Amino acid sequence: MADFVLTTRAPLIAGNKTPADVTRDICHSLEGRPTPLWWGSFLFAASLLLLGTLAVSYEIATGIGTWGVNRTVGWAVGITSFVFWIGIGHAGTLISAILFLLRQRWRTSVNRSAEAMTIFAVICAGIFPVIHLGRPWMAYWLFPYPNTRGSLWVNFRSPLVWDAFAISTYFTISLVFWLLGLIPDLATVRDRLRGGFRQRLASVMSLGWNGSFRTWHRYESVYLMLAGLATPLVLSVHTIVSWDFATGVIPGWHATIFPPYFVAGAIFSGVAMVLTLVIVARKTMHLEDYITLRHIDVMCKLLLLTSGIVGIAYVTEFFNALYSTNPYEEFAFLNRAFGPLGWAYAIMVSCNVLIPQLLWFRKVRRTLWIVFPISILINVGMWFERFVIIVTSLQRDFLPSSWAGYRPTPIELSMLLGSFGLFFTLFLLFCRLLPVVAMAEVKGVLHVGREPRGPDPERVMVGSSAQGRGMDAAGIREGGPE
Amino acid sequence: MGSEKPSRYWKSWEEGPGATGLVQISTSEFPEPLDRPAEQFNRRSFLKAAGFAAAVAAAGAGCSRAPVEKAIPYLIQPEEIVPGVSYFYASTCGGCATGCGVLVKNLDGRPIKLEGNPEHPLSRGGLCAVGQASLLALYDSQRLKAPQAKGRIASWQEVDEQIAAQLASIRTSGGAVRVLSGTISSPTLNAEIQKFLLQFRDARHVVYDGLSSSAILDAHQQTHGERLLPHYRFNRATVIVSFDADFLGTWISPVEFSRDFADGRRIDSRSPQMSYHAQLESRMSLTGSKADRRISVEPHELGEIMLRIGARLAQLAGSAFPIAARTQDNSYDTVIEDLARRLWESRGRSLVVCGSQDVRLQILGNFINDLLGNYGATLDIERPSQQRQGNDANLQSLLDDLDKGNVAALFLHGVNPAYDLPGGQALVQAIERTPLVVSFAERLDETSALAHFICPDHHPLESWSDAEPVRGTLGIFQPAIHPLGKTRPVLESLAIWRGQPRPAYDILRDHWRGSVFPQQTIEPDFQTFWDRSVEAGYSEIRLKTSKPPRFQAASLKPFSQSSPAAGELSLVLYPKISMLDGRHAENPWLQELPDPISKVTWDNYACLSPGTAQRLGLREGDVVRLEVDIDAVHSPPLELPVFIQPGQHDQVIAVALGYGRKSTERFANAGPKWLFGGSDVDEDGRIGKNTAPMLALVGGSLQYIRDNVRLSKIGKRHALASTQTHHSLTMPRELPIVGGEHRDIVRETTIAALLAGEKKTVPVSPATNGLWPADHRYTGHRWAMAIDLTACTGCSGCVIACQAENNIPVVGKDEVLRHREMHWMRIDRYYTGEQDVDVVYQPMLCQQCDNAPCETVCPVLATVHSAEGLNQQIYNRCVGTRYCANNCPYKTRRFNWFDYVRNDRLQNLVLNPDVTVRSRGVMEKCSFCVQRIEVARIESNRVGKPIADGQIQTACQQSCPSQAIVFGDLNDPNSRVAQMARDPRRFGVLEEFNFRPAVNYLTVVRNRDSHEENSKVNQNNG
Amino acid sequence: MNSRVVTAVLIVGLAFSFLTVTQQLGSWHLPGNQQGYEPVQPIAFSHRLHAGEMQISCLYCHSGAEVSRHAGIPAASTCMNCHRFVSAPLGALRAEDEKAKQENRRPRPLVSPEIQKIYDALALDDHLTRDPQKFLQPVAWTRINRLPDFVYFNHSAHVNSGVACQKCHGPIETMDRVRQAPDLTMGWCVNCHRTANAAGVASRPVQPSTDCSTCHY
Repeated sequence: MADFVLTTRAPLIAGNKTPADVTRDICHSLEGRPTPLWWGSFLFAASLLLLGTLAVSYEIATGIGTWGVNRTVGWAVGITSFVFWIGIGHAGTLISAILFLLRQRWRTSVNRSAEAMTIFAVICAGIFPVIHLGRPWMAYWLFPYPNTRGSLWVNFRSPLVWDAFAISTYFTISLVFWLLGLIPDLATVRDRLRGGFRQRLASVMSLGWNGSFRTWHRYESVYLMLAGLATPLVLSVHTIVSWDFATGVIPGWHATIFPPYFVAGAIFSGVAMVLTLVIVARKTMHLEDYITLRHIDVMCKLLLLTSGIVGIAYVTEFFNALYSTNPYEEFAFLNRAFGPLGWAYAIMVSCNVLIPQLLWFRKVRRTLWIVFPISILINVGMWFERFVIIVTSLQRDFLPSSWAGYRPTPIELSMLLGSFGLFFTLFLLFCRLLPVVAMAEVKGVLHVGREPRGPDPERVMVGSSAQGRGMDAAGIREGGPE
Repeated sequence: MGSEKPSRYWKSWEEGPGATGLVQISTSEFPEPLDRPAEQFNRRSFLKAAGFAAAVAAAGAGCSRAPVEKAIPYLIQPEEIVPGVSYFYASTCGGCATGCGVLVKNLDGRPIKLEGNPEHPLSRGGLCAVGQASLLALYDSQRLKAPQAKGRIASWQEVDEQIAAQLASIRTSGGAVRVLSGTISSPTLNAEIQKFLLQFRDARHVVYDGLSSSAILDAHQQTHGERLLPHYRFNRATVIVSFDADFLGTWISPVEFSRDFADGRRIDSRSPQMSYHAQLESRMSLTGSKADRRISVEPHELGEIMLRIGARLAQLAGSAFPIAARTQDNSYDTVIEDLARRLWESRGRSLVVCGSQDVRLQILGNFINDLLGNYGATLDIERPSQQRQGNDANLQSLLDDLDKGNVAALFLHGVNPAYDLPGGQALVQAIERTPLVVSFAERLDETSALAHFICPDHHPLESWSDAEPVRGTLGIFQPAIHPLGKTRPVLESLAIWRGQPRPAYDILRDHWRGSVFPQQTIEPDFQTFWDRSVEAGYSEIRLKTSKPPRFQAASLKPFSQSSPAAGELSLVLYPKISMLDGRHAENPWLQELPDPISKVTWDNYACLSPGTAQRLGLREGDVVRLEVDIDAVHSPPLELPVFIQPGQHDQVIAVALGYGRKSTERFANAGPKWLFGGSDVDEDGRIGKNTAPMLALVGGSLQYIRDNVRLSKIGKRHALASTQTHHSLTMPRELPIVGGEHRDIVRETTIAALLAGEKKTVPVSPATNGLWPADHRYTGHRWAMAIDLTACTGCSGCVIACQAENNIPVVGKDEVLRHREMHWMRIDRYYTGEQDVDVVYQPMLCQQCDNAPCETVCPVLATVHSAEGLNQQIYNRCVGTRYCANNCPYKTRRFNWFDYVRNDRLQNLVLNPDVTVRSRGVMEKCSFCVQRIEVARIESNRVGKPIADGQIQTACQQSCPSQAIVFGDLNDPNSRVAQMARDPRRFGVLEEFNFRPAVNYLTVVRNRDSHEENSKVNQNNG
Repeated sequence: MNSRVVTAVLIVGLAFSFLTVTQQLGSWHLPGNQQGYEPVQPIAFSHRLHAGEMQISCLYCHSGAEVSRHAGIPAASTCMNCHRFVSAPLGALRAEDEKAKQENRRPRPLVSPEIQKIYDALALDDHLTRDPQKFLQPVAWTRINRLPDFVYFNHSAHVNSGVACQKCHGPIETMDRVRQAPDLTMGWCVNCHRTANAAGVASRPVQPSTDCSTCHY
């Protein structure tokens, strides 16, 4: 029994942190000068971004012809990356909103960076639908607005219109949610810093926070509401993105399984990306005490689950196709696996289904140098999943006369790299300018305050388990400006 | 910009235009002196001719204002030009010597489209790809705009003076004068040339064709005592046996033959019957691909088989046959027996044609036709064809004279010997040695570059001339635009050098008054006859029928053929429908036209049979070196990429003529140029390789088949820009389960099956199970199309017609390699079968689906359904998501990947003002020629009459030589399209998905016994 | 103190921009909308005089309107049909006659400067015969009613179904200098087609299509 208690209620935050320690640890990284490591990675990311920007400008100036797409394969790397980034963007909201509602306390140390990641990923994603247009300067036609064309609206039957709405909504909500969550911490930063740009930034963004009970009360209720609001979006956005394909007639797209399949995939890739990031952040910013092995472990379990769902989806797709006795469907899927792009399919299956099976082992889940590469491989695999779905389906559809191949051009690829550049540039700036861990919330799960002397695990467990939430409030109240 | 001649203004004030008003227009509406720079001149003539001209001035009207646009009206209103209204002038096609009738569509004073002349007795409304594309040559900015003397621009006066001087000296010295020309079917020009030559003691007019049929004429010289080319009547034949004659593709008169052939095979499903066509050939030709029975034979076996058929027929006829066939191998016994039987059964209704350049085979062919009593029935020698007059024997002697330097003056018209004859450098030097060489070439080509004087001829659309493709059937060329440069018709040049300068119009008129008018009996006075003829564009005259020559049996002499050892490769040089002998190599439309069989653009290549390729370990695109050594001349080696051609004989390498022209260097930047864009031309800066050096002029005729070819692989590779990469409806074998599964996209059946009343019934899903409610009611018209796949020969005339009508850009080789060709109309070609393949063609264009997948997915409503069943694509609303193209099951949508090259101002005059020129980044596709529908609708409102069936013709339908395409109103139960839609052979592509295409296809029918067909089906699915 | 300055500046700025905007609002157009465009033409031709007072039918000069997509701008030769004889305003001629009578001399030929421009275009001398010294100079009018290149408007279709010229060209017969009357937006076209479908044109039933491909192809 005691064992059981011990194992399950082990502390979320290691190293007997006091709230003051938390504040110091987290703000430390904001206040010191940037490390050479940071500069290095920042310059690298920025140069990638520059490359991407050049590629995009050239494409917009010259035409989509600078991509490898053709009369048969109209979408390829561009839309693949779009779906990929949208997928990444899912983990943030999942972790911050759904896990919040489910009272998963371990989320507190990762949710801030996860949300930031969401915002940045959605920004990256949002760029692709625009630059893949033949006439990007007309992109605003995708939104309904009163016009002098007597009066010409958008096609509400088109999934691309739904996309436009879904993504803009998702972006707005996530952004608000994130900024709101930042307020108490920014107040802390504001009070610690003495003048300077960051201090002004913090004081503006913390909206005159004073840590009074009412402020806290309002804050918590709004946060709860937003969490409720954001939750359905986690499901809706990628469902709608999947309809881009599911509503098409092309064999390999025309499938009812897509929404759940895509959502699971999105969470899968999202969590993988969070892992990648926090493992790095943990090392470089010395947050071992906040992002403990337990966090890694839990997220690995999440990966295992979603990987399972995705795997089942792959099998089901195949089964449906073969069971349908529709020769075109059958061909589409066999072509996917054994056709000219079979190698991409192989990458996708091995990275998304086979490799994650390692995570069944606790040892693996808690060994960073294994988890890290896995998390990266999963993202590679998920990118290829979208690539396979889009390109192989288009490449060989109904009429053999118009079957065609596809080879990406350097322009396309540098755009892909550029999107990664943008993502990491933003993330690195975030690490410098804002607290990467939600201090206020972390303080809520600290185990100090009841006992003047060093914590005795046994008692703390009892205590915390006895007066669960009441203590949070206390803890959080302590988290106010000092 | 105006007329400097004082009298002009008031003169043309009252003066009405003559029957052919264009003369007046051209003199009163384009009065600039001709020595203006041509570029500028064209622009101005266009500006004035087009009633409204965009001369964009400085935008003085603030930023939210569009730039100021000037509208410059006529000063003097010409009677019959109304800006924005198009007029049709009947004329004749100058694309080749065949002389089909065309209607020139003139809009705002310039020709923008050629259409077949439906009344013309030969072409009957059809027009081939070359004919359609010949319009573009009119606006070719690299045409010579002025005469040249010794390689520099000169004035006509000095050119004439110098030439006259030299001719005078020749007259006195009595040197030899030779006119070397291609086939000239123009009686006026021929007469003029004769008159010209009369002034010289030793003068001769030598004719040769790049695609020679001189063996046929020589054979008739021997068998009928008259050097003539019969007028073949395929529509009268019920059994057609063709020995390597590509009569649907490039042989003599393809448009006429296609129509005749199709008419003989048009099937009424209730009482189905059609002619039987067997093709014996070594390569896969367009004609072979349509054959009911196609036998691929080694070139030298042709003679043997003909012999044995001849012998068998003689036996049946009980007449003597002097030649003993070497019957050691009996591999073809069944074939020979079958064909002989069929031919014999339909005596007088059969036709044997032979494309060989071997006179002995042609004699044999004549013998067989005579034996079957086909002369006078399916071969007309009373009114013979004049579409091929080449005499290779004369050519041979001329070349010898040239070589010896015996020729004092050489006049070149419509030929390019330095390019399309063997002999190479020797011939070039011989021409250079000749003291006086005058070329009438429109362009600076391989030969005219050697000439001392170039006296450029008008483009056929600029000039007065005539043609007599078949004796008694005359066509008239009338100018449709004022000459764009300082060119001069040959008629005038010759007249001037004869010292009797007169305008071509007068020469032509007088010749008609003198020689044509007396022969006819209908019209009492010349003026009406002339007006009638010019109006109709042609004139048929009843000739006093002289007794036709009879076949002389004596002419049939024994011969034996040397067939090369088995396994040895022989080279077959053939013309492509687009390039022919290379005369149109500078035409981008034709260069980008996919070859109907190989689907390759912008290249020629060495076709090998799959078996041979496998044997030699060659893959498609491997470059091979071909060497033929001839005792006479040793031809330089030829390096060509390999193309694998099913259905070709294993011992044959087939290579197309007409490539590697100097003039193709212009295509270096035919396509869009961008960072990673590839080159549009080969390493040597040209398109393809010239194969003419491989020809041989032996035995008095040009030989297109060469033996003892050495083929060697040279580790290089060369990408072939093909528009179709998968050639079969059978799925790739490497895929498990569905490998070898056959897609039901094109339906095939046999006459026997039809007779048995068995027809494939297709489950057409009812309207109820669509995702969207059937919201199209079609209360008015409902436009639809029907395409008879049995009639379609794949000739691709429709493709170019569509390109000309709808301003479709040329994208260049690199873009085609990237699968980005822009043709709205394409011809899908599928092979069925394994060893002896069958070919089916399927013209594929936007199917204008009722439940169009593209319409639901476009976010901005840029593609929507019209109330008349059209699937409209609105370019100016399109933002270019390409979602519609992805979702199009037929992949008929085309995207503007770049702003395509349109920087040639002169070339842009060919653009059709009735169709928007699409900008970069928008989707486009076949519109069922909606611009024509709108014109017809407005016209019918104006005159208050409903649109009649057949009044609207889409561009593809109009030019289809075999009348395979029918467009019309499905709501009108009596319309032809409605009737065809009720035909039991009707099917729709991918109907089972309930897309509800508006294009109805009629099943391919082959004249076969069903067991044969079954065996084939087994082969497909086996 | 500092913040007060800011507020003041803001207020001034607001006020200023408000004023400017309200002034602009009246003449404000969406880009490309040329409504009210009224350029000066090379010849001060008055539709009020010709179409309004003289009651010359529109189709006399714009004969294309019945048969063609373009209504057409008349050729100078068309002008000459009348202006070979009419060389100046009637009033001016009368006055000249009066003066001539008083001074009992033959009235001098009067040519109004605008009509002189036609003669110059056609390179005519005083006796209206072609002057070999002069050059023909086409008149370059400034286009007013312009649609984008991707719009196919057909005059004959409208004229023949009874649409009055004024429907699109405004009270042209009252204009001395031609002005673009409607905004010529797509909405304007489509609404007219819709109403015509319901109400017909000139009490005649018509079926103007509202399909995109009626104007765009």
